[in-house]
Amino acid sequence: MKLSIQLGALLVAFAMLFAACQPGAAPTPQPPADTPAPVDTPAQTPPAAETPPAEETPPAEETPPAEETPPGEETPEPSPSPAPGAEAGTLTIWAAGETADALTDIGATFTEQYDVPVQVYELGFGDIRDQLLLRGPAGEGPDIIVGAHDWLGQLTAAGVVEPLDLGAKEDQFAQVGVDAFTYDGTLYGMPYGSEAIALYYNRDLVPEPPATWDELKETARQLQEDGTVEQGYCLQKGDPYHSYPILTGHGGYIFGPDPETGAYNPDDVGLDSPGGLAYGNELNDLVAEGLLRDNVDYSACITMMTEGRAAFWMTGPWALNDFRTSGVNYGVAPIPMMEEQPRPFVGVQGMMVSSFAPNMLLAQSFLTEFIATDEGMDALYEADPRLPVWLPLAERVEDPDTAAFTESASHGDPMPAIPEMSAVWEHWTTAINLVFEQAQDPDEAFEAAAERIRETIAQP
Amino acid sequence: MTTGQQEAPRVSGASSPVMSVIWRLIALAFIDAIAIVFAYSFWSGGLALAAVVLLVVTAAINVVFLVPGLYPLRWISPGVFLLMLMVVYPVMFTVYAAFTNYSAQHILSKQQVVERFERQFYTPEDQASLTWRAFRSPADEFLIWLEDPTGRQLIGDPQRGVIPADDYDAEFGQIDQADGLPTRIDDYVKLSRIESFRHLTALSRLDIRDEAAQLRIVSLDRAELGIQRYTYDPARDVLTDHLTDTEYESRRGFFVAEDGLRAPGPGFVDVIGPDNFLRVVHDHRIRDAFFGLFVWNFAFAFLSVAFTFALGLALALVFNDQRLPLKGIFRTLAIIPYTIPGFISILVWAGLLNPTFGPINAFLQEFFGISPPWFADGTLAKSAVLMVNLWLGYPYMLIVTLGALQSIPGDLYEAAEIDGANVFQRFKTITLPLLLVAVAPLLIGAFAFNFNNFAIIELLTAGGPANPNAVTPAGQTDILISYSYRLAFASGRGQDYAFAAAISVFIFAIVAMITLVNFRISRRLENMI
Amino acid sequence: MASRSGKVKRVRRPELGLRARRRISILFKVLVAIATAIFALIPVAFVITAALNPLNTITAASLLPTRITFEHFETIFSSPSHPWPTWILNSATVAGITAVVVTALCALAAYSFSRFRFRGRRAGLISLVIIQLFPNMLAMVALFLLLQAVGQAMPTSAVVPVLGEIELPRLGLNSLGGLILIYSGGALGFNTWLMKAYFDTVPYDLDESALVDGASHTQVFRMVVLPLVRPILAVIGILTFIGTYSDFLIARIMLSSPENYTVAVGMSLFITGQFTQRWGVFAAAAVISALPIVITFLILQRQLIGGLAQGGVKG
Repeated sequence: MKLSIQLGALLVAFAMLFAACQPGAAPTPQPPADTPAPVDTPAQTPPAAETPPAEETPPAEETPPAEETPPGEETPEPSPSPAPGAEAGTLTIWAAGETADALTDIGATFTEQYDVPVQVYELGFGDIRDQLLLRGPAGEGPDIIVGAHDWLGQLTAAGVVEPLDLGAKEDQFAQVGVDAFTYDGTLYGMPYGSEAIALYYNRDLVPEPPATWDELKETARQLQEDGTVEQGYCLQKGDPYHSYPILTGHGGYIFGPDPETGAYNPDDVGLDSPGGLAYGNELNDLVAEGLLRDNVDYSACITMMTEGRAAFWMTGPWALNDFRTSGVNYGVAPIPMMEEQPRPFVGVQGMMVSSFAPNMLLAQSFLTEFIATDEGMDALYEADPRLPVWLPLAERVEDPDTAAFTESASHGDPMPAIPEMSAVWEHWTTAINLVFEQAQDPDEAFEAAAERIRETIAQP
Repeated sequence: MTTGQQEAPRVSGASSPVMSVIWRLIALAFIDAIAIVFAYSFWSGGLALAAVVLLVVTAAINVVFLVPGLYPLRWISPGVFLLMLMVVYPVMFTVYAAFTNYSAQHILSKQQVVERFERQFYTPEDQASLTWRAFRSPADEFLIWLEDPTGRQLIGDPQRGVIPADDYDAEFGQIDQADGLPTRIDDYVKLSRIESFRHLTALSRLDIRDEAAQLRIVSLDRAELGIQRYTYDPARDVLTDHLTDTEYESRRGFFVAEDGLRAPGPGFVDVIGPDNFLRVVHDHRIRDAFFGLFVWNFAFAFLSVAFTFALGLALALVFNDQRLPLKGIFRTLAIIPYTIPGFISILVWAGLLNPTFGPINAFLQEFFGISPPWFADGTLAKSAVLMVNLWLGYPYMLIVTLGALQSIPGDLYEAAEIDGANVFQRFKTITLPLLLVAVAPLLIGAFAFNFNNFAIIELLTAGGPANPNAVTPAGQTDILISYSYRLAFASGRGQDYAFAAAISVFIFAIVAMITLVNFRISRRLENMI
Repeated sequence: MASRSGKVKRVRRPELGLRARRRISILFKVLVAIATAIFALIPVAFVITAALNPLNTITAASLLPTRITFEHFETIFSSPSHPWPTWILNSATVAGITAVVVTALCALAAYSFSRFRFRGRRAGLISLVIIQLFPNMLAMVALFLLLQAVGQAMPTSAVVPVLGEIELPRLGLNSLGGLILIYSGGALGFNTWLMKAYFDTVPYDLDESALVDGASHTQVFRMVVLPLVRPILAVIGILTFIGTYSDFLIARIMLSSPENYTVAVGMSLFITGQFTQRWGVFAAAAVISALPIVITFLILQRQLIGGLAQGGVKG
């Protein structure tokens, strides 16, 4: 799209915008009162005649395919100055953090073997979703995004992701991963890793992880009374995600199952079910007893745990790095048994193909042929060690921490992807906070939260 | 109100040299040409509103530069030009969006949604899935070799359609033992599976037809002869599903069948009229919470301005003193809060104020034996918000007042001192009034900015602490915009941008009204305008 | 406290205890300055702590981390996918050009609003403020689409008679030029007001005598008014520079390839993770990226009080 226009019209124009205020450096008396009526018309100026090609060149996507592929036989090197969005012929991927680095390496291998340039852009995790919604439809989006399964409700409602067929390879993925990326009966992404929270404990303080919730509370109480720790069991305020196992362990739920499909049913909100209220009261009792504290947030928990000032904390594999670098003697165990089997949320990471991908077929083939292989999955796991959903890899991984997380995830519920979930987080958080602050009776707080969630969902 | 102080210069007089006029005409011609090019691009890019704004502004610039009586406007026009495109146009866009259904389910344009439908194919029952292999000519044209499960071989040719391989009139190369296919057809050379990868995008766009069916490559190995499932008739505005023989009409951002069922797929952006505004008015969660939110919102904005200005002014007076040692260093240290991106400062403050772990409470506990629950108590949370906002905002006021102080003539002080006025009298009668003249509009601006200061509320308290037993979910530090955007973004079916836009218009009406009243009651401002 | 120039000092009158009072006043001012510095620096100190703390948290309870590490700084400078020097340069370029453009355009407009009386002047000034009050949450979308269209219409080079073919600055999406356009437009409103108010304090007699001598308005603007308003030019330049430098909301949407990122966009990569917020690296980056602004301010602040010397001229 390299175009030229005569006379540098633009530069001059911008200069003129200023210069017209001060025409000429000569001491010219201002203002020109009796300027003759204008006779010039814009259309007669030469630049206008030259410029139109600018808009006649269609955007890259519309040019006939024959012109897309480089005419020269061997032009494998990626374009020197990367374009913002995907271009035909260059596979463009958006990913976050370490995954982006891993994909850059994987992409280089792919380019070497298949002669297709790959461009990986690193974006903030949440930005990937938000910007796909904006840039995708504008034709500035990628071919592939790496993201979380619970974006699917929003992405499919907007119509920016494309169904994906894993073909025969579907059998090699863990069922939970495939299920998570299935929305309204259609598969939209290729999972590569999952995550769920499990129980971290300090081995120096607690040699054996507790088997039951009561045992955990008892140990925490003891340690706290001894003054061995500041807080026996850590649970941050305002964090529904991390307290979900306690909800399910007491028989509560967020959305009940749809009687027909078994999917989450937004009309059945369970925060004020008997189990939900039991959970609210459990939190309330823990706070009242001093086992849980207001003002403890995620950062506080990680600081206390790594400094040995707390003994138990439930969180996910993302905290492993901090535990390892801190040198604390930690262990990871499945979540202890409550009245019912506690079920954490399971989040699944995967790759989705944009509906506005210029290289849709190429992108799909890249995923199914190249990433869905032992080599591809190994490389991703190394960069971003989540629980593998690629079964051959899952069987090979022997890390004890990973085993504990995998065990925990096997009981988990996929995080609801339905858009109604956005109404839940806020009010659920409010209820938790009111209980932590001891500002409201737990029954009332959770009944009010459930009521507001229903009200929001019923909105037009 | 204005006359008196300055006589307006006469806007006429000596004639300018011809060269000046010619230069001006050439410049205008350039600008017009470029504006037309850009306006055309906006128009064809679907931004009709932007095209209109651009053309109107350009036309206005022409008039301004050609009509001598409008000479003063020439000085303003470059700024106004940018302002119109970068500030006014987005406002107009927001107002427009408020009349649409722009939301999580309605992001795409109608054309994009239609394209999505038209991309769907179904395979008739008698059609089996095919395997394929591509042949490529030196001119980058392609032929597709197809084979169905019964072993029947076909050739797909963009020019000739799908033809049984035996009937295809061409010179075939040697048969490759590995796959039983010829190595070339005429000068088309067979691509290996790996080589095909590179050409997948081109291959997927080939238009090869067999009567009603179209050849579609669905994966690296499989192809299908499919029939387009949906067609759209723009004249009737109807989408037809040929598989089920259903017609869908376009209604409020969806394609809807007669029985009310929607065609499966995303919705599109459509103008729906004033519904979003009616929703703002009728939503009891907004109506019931409005008064409380408004009072705190007003107080928050007012106090934020008052505090930041007071501190900024005090510091400016201090730093303005020539005798202050190390004043360069002090000045620099004092503006440091302004140099750190706001979002990180706010998050750091949230940590500092943490009642259990934050150093501020550790300090208070140590020396005063108190530990205020900053974020659990409404009044304390409000104080915390104001304090953090003071920290964030005073450097701006400091820089502005430091500059404005320079405009006050030193002679005035001299005279006052001779008259025996003391420091405070001089401040009250000279510094403050003259300073206010210079910064009053900034104070109004700062008020408006803080009135809509979404970021600090959202990042510091997220509106909390919650109001127990309230009818609405408004938190105690929520301001209008933080509360209503949360309503719009966590609405039943996800983000509702159009609803948020309608709320924006309402809030703008409120702020603009307050500001206009401010202008009116402030005699000082009247005078200065 | 209002003794702000040599002039005031000269009118020292023999008054008892004057020197003592001056001394107390200075002492008081030093205390205020120190207190402010502490207030300003407390959070900064914690950012620095976080940058040196091996744990990726930002709410460590003590100012002294249990272990000090420079690994976060190493991470920043060793990662090839995060070219911090380029990002800082980009930020400085965008902020610098924006500051110059805004100052120039505001000065032009302010001259007109201050020196001429014309119809619509009052309405124009008021609308300048009112339009900025709009809570512009959808502005991003509008600006994004606008820049996209600008980029598509914009040629990449032009042929100029003398110079031959030259590269034109890119103004569309994912370009620093486009970002400058947006920032410049957004910063004009209030700054024009501020500038105009300051222009008003320059006595009109000065213009008039020059005009009578046959000077054009252009000359009056350049030779009479501009030299007298240097402090406000500095104020607006500094405000715009800093405000633009630390923005990331707009830049994050408009820029998409890493070599065009500004510093704030680069930083946001580290904390927008789902759970893996790398606060340590983020804090280290914040420390490094704030340095250029601090240095710029140290240099430019002389201009802020530069008008002082001319106090006499104005009176």
